[in-house]
Amino acid sequence: MIDRDLTSADVAELASPRELMESEWAPCRYNCPVHADVRGYIELAARGQFAAAADLVRECLPFASVCGRICHHPCENNCRRCDVDQAVAIREVKRFVCELAGAGATVDKPVKQDRAKVAIVGSGPSGMSAALYLARWGYRPTLFEKFPVAGGIPVTAVPQYRLPRDVINQDVDWILSHGVELVTGCEIGKDKTVADLLGDGFEAVIIATGLATSRMLPLPGGETPRVLPVLDFLTRSSFDEPVDVGKNVLVIGGGNVAMDAARTAARLGATVTAMCLENEQEMPAWDWERDEAHEEGVSFLHRRGPVEVLLEGDNIVGLRTRKVTRVFDDEGNFSPEYDDSDLQDVPCDTVIMAIGQMADMGFVEGSDLGTDDRGRLTYNAATQETSVKGVFAAGEIVTAPGSVVEACASGQRAAKAVDLYLNGRPIEIDDTLPAEIDKIPEATAEKVVKVERHAVEVEDPKTRATNFEPVDHNLSPVVAALEARRCMSCGGGAEVLVDKCAACLTCLRVCPFDIPVVTDVARIESSLCQACGMCIADCPANAIIAKSWSQDEDLRQIKAKLDAVQGDRKIVAYVCGHHSPATAWSGTLEDTIPGVIEEYLPSMARLSAAQILHTLEQGAAGVIVVACNEGADRYPTAPERVAKRVEQVRELLGEIGVNAETVQFVSEADHGRAAVREAMELAADRIEGKAAVEEATE
Amino acid sequence: MIVAERKPMDEILEMVAGCKKVLVLGCGGCVTVCLTGGERQAEMLASQLNLAAKAKGLQLEATFDSITRQCEKEFFDNLSETPGDYDAVLSIACGAGVQFMTEVYPKTPILPGMNTTHLASNVEQGVWEEYCRGCGDCVLAWTGGVCPVAKCSKSLINGTCGGTDNGKCEVNPDMACGWLKIYERLNDLGRLDEYRKMRATRDHRKDRGNGVRRLVLAEMTEDEEAGNE
Repeated sequence: MIDRDLTSADVAELASPRELMESEWAPCRYNCPVHADVRGYIELAARGQFAAAADLVRECLPFASVCGRICHHPCENNCRRCDVDQAVAIREVKRFVCELAGAGATVDKPVKQDRAKVAIVGSGPSGMSAALYLARWGYRPTLFEKFPVAGGIPVTAVPQYRLPRDVINQDVDWILSHGVELVTGCEIGKDKTVADLLGDGFEAVIIATGLATSRMLPLPGGETPRVLPVLDFLTRSSFDEPVDVGKNVLVIGGGNVAMDAARTAARLGATVTAMCLENEQEMPAWDWERDEAHEEGVSFLHRRGPVEVLLEGDNIVGLRTRKVTRVFDDEGNFSPEYDDSDLQDVPCDTVIMAIGQMADMGFVEGSDLGTDDRGRLTYNAATQETSVKGVFAAGEIVTAPGSVVEACASGQRAAKAVDLYLNGRPIEIDDTLPAEIDKIPEATAEKVVKVERHAVEVEDPKTRATNFEPVDHNLSPVVAALEARRCMSCGGGAEVLVDKCAACLTCLRVCPFDIPVVTDVARIESSLCQACGMCIADCPANAIIAKSWSQDEDLRQIKAKLDAVQGDRKIVAYVCGHHSPATAWSGTLEDTIPGVIEEYLPSMARLSAAQILHTLEQGAAGVIVVACNEGADRYPTAPERVAKRVEQVRELLGEIGVNAETVQFVSEADHGRAAVREAMELAADRIEGKAAVEEATE
Repeated sequence: MIVAERKPMDEILEMVAGCKKVLVLGCGGCVTVCLTGGERQAEMLASQLNLAAKAKGLQLEATFDSITRQCEKEFFDNLSETPGDYDAVLSIACGAGVQFMTEVYPKTPILPGMNTTHLASNVEQGVWEEYCRGCGDCVLAWTGGVCPVAKCSKSLINGTCGGTDNGKCEVNPDMACGWLKIYERLNDLGRLDEYRKMRATRDHRKDRGNGVRRLVLAEMTEDEEAGNE
């Protein structure tokens, strides 16, 4: 709820009621590290406006296609739908819209890019995000990348079966097209120094080199070349370089990178065992990563710690392990303890060490950059500055190891810091966020219509474990739209204008979710509101507005469409879009009926009698209301309510001598396109008096 | 609350005949609560008039506005529209609002869009039933809380009459006999002694018999003569 009473005067000052949504964020947006407008892009996808959805994702998330594949999706983990049935498959919808748009997503490049040159060391998610934002603000950013391609860890170490190269290139190419320079094959600290960059016309530098080196354990026998650092292994595999992985691979580590290594080794034909200190519940890899590895034939050895690499000559014959008695201490800190009396030799010919990554600090060479006693880059988390003026840091080099989206957020923040610095202003970044909408209460969740989450198609484990083709598939346009329609539009619902409310109780009486409370005036808690629009359509005082739509805006669009119609027939069909094909909603149908403008709404709950009358006022010769059958609307009672509103309008028309048949009601919206089209054709004929004649003849 | 219903459209069209610009004005009080005269109903009536004008080829343009209450002069300051800019204002407040507005805007014709009917309670969703006639002499204390003036079609003060028929009224067979309700209620309360008492006729001076009624609160009036018209 807006933290103060809202009046019509307040709303009159807004360009759009949508601005009200900025005062409180749905959990998907709040918990997204880059705070992407999740509700917004999911709504666009629900309407079949896929390109617009992709553009909205990319407003905040430069690595949109990459995140569509591999994001740890805190949006979904915090989705309020989790308490109703299952989270909306936000990542899969994002993947679909972003990959559909590809690198062709809208590029918002300023006409003039003549501000300072900024060097960015590392072209991973954080570096490229910083570059994108700086380019958008008119700076001239240049990325320096040691590898021959841009993209960072997603391109060098994430296996292609999870993240194909062309998907990464969509993001990289789109970012570069904003006027971002890319210099590949240039390692800072070796080929050039940070000092060189500052002397070479760059007015600021951002270090975004990430964690590019594998951690190793000083095990006896561990120096043999067949003990592979995980990133070396994954990078060689990513660049299709030949890797002799052996026949019997033991991966040490229980994280996601270890799972990537195990699954990659399995694809290269090896028998793979993944060994980790943790048990199945404790291991840090995502459950699905672990499960998919397991399905692909990876065996797991839990609660064992490595002791010694067993060699025969130069060859590895096994790994001596010991029992882990605990991984974490009572405070939950990582503090493993072992039982040295329980030793076990695990046979293998190759060991991949995947116990974590660390920074490659080579970029410090030849610069005055300071490091702390543990060798880490000296850094001010508030300003993102290093010890050298004008040199900033972003991403995993200075943050905890995280995901792509977190690196993007860090890169964006560094861009803000650089912008302030280059403007000679104090580097003060306001990180405060609007309030987060609460969880959905049980009583409300029970009333929400349940809709099963649409699953993505996953390749059979036996097939997929033999190649590097993607493990899972993109949603189809139809399913992407249907899945997006599961979104509950949290925070997009009703707000009461207290100066108009007469406390008549109508909202309380018509709300399908029993949300309004009427005291002095009606109070509608936005965290509970399901944004159906029922109360807005029925309020006699026009005292309730929606934050995510307005009747006036809708009517303006309809007027423009009516004015554009060629020919005599001008009929508007309001169709419940909940079951409609995405092409219908996005206006790209090929089988439209001439002279019938199809207007799709998420539900008929929001269609008021007044809006039907206004549609006629604006020049429509008739209105067809195509509702779902009872029980098929996404909101309970909506078809029954709108049927009554239509009946009211027909009576009002009869009073002024206008044929009541001008407004038609049909319940075919959930019966498929062919049925909807047929019903609209028949209704249009009735409006024009044709069907009535036929019926009379019969 | 005061209940008013929209006048038949023919009557409204006759009233606005000859007008080119009409402002339909809603009231945010009782008529909003009974869903007949709020801003939304003003919006829809204006829309209806525009559609009627189009259908009948009339030179009529209607817009709408609404204020908190049309029976208080201060609220007219909140109008978005200027009544003087219109040929007529079609008020959909109760009769009090229409007349009061006429006094506030003496130069503009203020037309009644409603028939004001009764003082009601909301008995179920969408239903407002008469509960009070505003007789000025309340007898509910000895009628078990059921008003014989409002609920008896003859407003008898000593009922029932001979026309009660199996609990229904002879005037309107769909209507419950008010006096039967009074009897049942008093019976439930164990107060049939009240029923048996013969009551004096009502003092009609408190009703309409003594002219226009006014409520004058001396402690709030600024003018000594406020009680007198």
